[in-house]
Amino acid sequence: MPEETPRPNIVLWSLLLAALPAWLGLDAVSVAPNRIVPGSGHSAAEVAGLPGLVASLVPALAVLWLAWRPTRERLRLALGLVVAMLAALPAWLALAAAELVDPALPQARMGIGGGVWVGLFLLLLALIELRTRLTLSRPLGWALLLVPLASLALCLSLWLEPLALRREYAGRSQQFLAAIGEHLLLVGSAVGLSLVIGVGLALAMRRWPRARELGFAVLNFLQTIPSLALFGLLLAPLAWLSARVDWLAALGVSGIGWAPALLALVGYSLLPMVRNTYVALEEVDPGVVDAARGMGMSRGQVFRQVRLPLALPVILEGIRITSVQAIGLTAVAALIGAGGLGTFIFQGLGQAAMDLVLLGALPILVMALAADALLGALTDLLRPGGAT
Amino acid sequence: MIDLIHVTKRFGATTAVDDISLSVAQGELCVLVGTSGCGKSTTLRMINRLIEHSDGEIHIDGQQIRAFREETLRRRMGYAIQSTGLFPHWTVARNIGLVPRLLKWPQARIRERVEELMTLLGLPVSEFADKYPRQLSGGQAQRVGVARALAADPDILLMDEPFGALDPITRETLQEELRALQGRLHKTIVFVTHDMDEALRLADRLVVMDQGRIKQQGHPLELLREPADAFVESLLGGEDRGLKEAALLPVSERMLPLSPRLLARERVAHDASLREALSIMLWRHAERLTVVDDEDLPIGELSLRRLVGAKAHE
Repeated sequence: MPEETPRPNIVLWSLLLAALPAWLGLDAVSVAPNRIVPGSGHSAAEVAGLPGLVASLVPALAVLWLAWRPTRERLRLALGLVVAMLAALPAWLALAAAELVDPALPQARMGIGGGVWVGLFLLLLALIELRTRLTLSRPLGWALLLVPLASLALCLSLWLEPLALRREYAGRSQQFLAAIGEHLLLVGSAVGLSLVIGVGLALAMRRWPRARELGFAVLNFLQTIPSLALFGLLLAPLAWLSARVDWLAALGVSGIGWAPALLALVGYSLLPMVRNTYVALEEVDPGVVDAARGMGMSRGQVFRQVRLPLALPVILEGIRITSVQAIGLTAVAALIGAGGLGTFIFQGLGQAAMDLVLLGALPILVMALAADALLGALTDLLRPGGAT
Repeated sequence: MIDLIHVTKRFGATTAVDDISLSVAQGELCVLVGTSGCGKSTTLRMINRLIEHSDGEIHIDGQQIRAFREETLRRRMGYAIQSTGLFPHWTVARNIGLVPRLLKWPQARIRERVEELMTLLGLPVSEFADKYPRQLSGGQAQRVGVARALAADPDILLMDEPFGALDPITRETLQEELRALQGRLHKTIVFVTHDMDEALRLADRLVVMDQGRIKQQGHPLELLREPADAFVESLLGGEDRGLKEAALLPVSERMLPLSPRLLARERVAHDASLREALSIMLWRHAERLTVVDDEDLPIGELSLRRLVGAKAHE
């Protein structure tokens, strides 16, 4: 072999050695005859029997073997196996549902247990590790996820009707879509508003250095107020305003609902937005700006053609942080009647229906990851000097 | 042509440039040299109004610089700086075409001019036009910087330690290229440096500055032979001055016609400096060198006595 034998990949070993006992020891699924009674847990061995269990262990053990001497080809093979395992997981769930759920009971449902969650989580981490080791590009990394996602979509539509999560969705498909719409609208307007205000503030701080310290002090203070408290604090003044200003009331502004939620979200979003925009504009290489001015560019030209394009990746980073943060915070805003996916989370908590909580939480997770990935890719695209 | 007449610059209570007068003729390469903080960069930056002077007058071609709009003034002057100031998000070609684009030249003419300049500065168009600055070596980046400064064919070039960040070999190559370029283009150049060897090598007019004032100005040889005071003398290298002067004088200045004697074995080119000739003598233990022309044909001879400037006949 021309290349030196590489050392074992500790990360993959740790991940898989943690996944195996979880898969073998924890409940893989739980089955309940209806929504009210708690489900009874079933381990992976109960679902597929001993031969099925052994079959499910083979690819994991193969990855361990490949990771012992991780050359590029072996890692590529391991990547294929991890993707295959991820894609097999929904199919395995479908198998479990067919095996365990009594078709005679229309309300019977199957919940996903700790074993599957832990396995899923650790396999995703293994995928990230392999992507990094193999230095795959970001789009390729996402393309790899399409295979398990396609498998999930297929199984959900064909065989996974008894899955508790799907049963919860089936009862609320209209509400679910509306909630996603509300959530996105709140996040979008909060990020949009804070972008406009944030860039304005950052520009003002650059022009008047004395405004800078005061501005950052206020924004830092805003950031320290717990989100629930801020929603509460806004309740009284907004209720007072809407009672006295007719056009505000006509707009739908009141102590609860979207108005206080939007205000609070913008308040929280301003700090990362202003900080990133300010730092980005401030840290453009002074030599470049000096040359631009010395060559005879006007102030406006320097800003538009030099400072702004060079600052853009860092500003986008601010938008990314703000978006991810707002997606999470908007869940809490459901408490003051702003709607969104948080509604399901709090309903689920109230009814001790964990699958309903998941119905709210999983899309939030997906949205946050998608926003992160999209804006991250955009940032890479806009790096000075283009793609390397 | 640039004239500074009793120019002063104050920053608050401190005076950075103190009542200096300086005149740079058309086609002259004027080097401002001094220790850091002596006011040489400030002086340069006042000429294109990146810094506004507090007192006195600055003229280019007889017109006050304040008569121009800042941008118009700057577009008439090339500007090159130590950090190159290349725009990292623009290709080499776009960087070079900056000022012509600001002046709204037609696209075709800009492209033609950019390619002409890249060829002039030894940057093959096919290889470099679409590269980004971070893909260039220090020397290449600085060539692009100089090309960009020359893009709109300005009469005046302002250069602020353009070669300061380069390794000694690249720096010397670029100095030679600048001299050669200046031999063809005859720009009026103001060049700031703290490197005395660079100053001596490049300058038609050498201006030594200290604490915001001009200590002495003139041709490098004048300063070497008659430094105005101890400060100028020490800046010029003290005891090393002899060698620095020798580096400025060509062999042809001291050589004698071929004598009937046997040709000396060691040779030196007629356009080499006396310093190089001396080095050959030291290295080869030779007291006499044969001077050869570009075709390597003997045209004269140089003895150690002549080289050191002793009278021709004893």
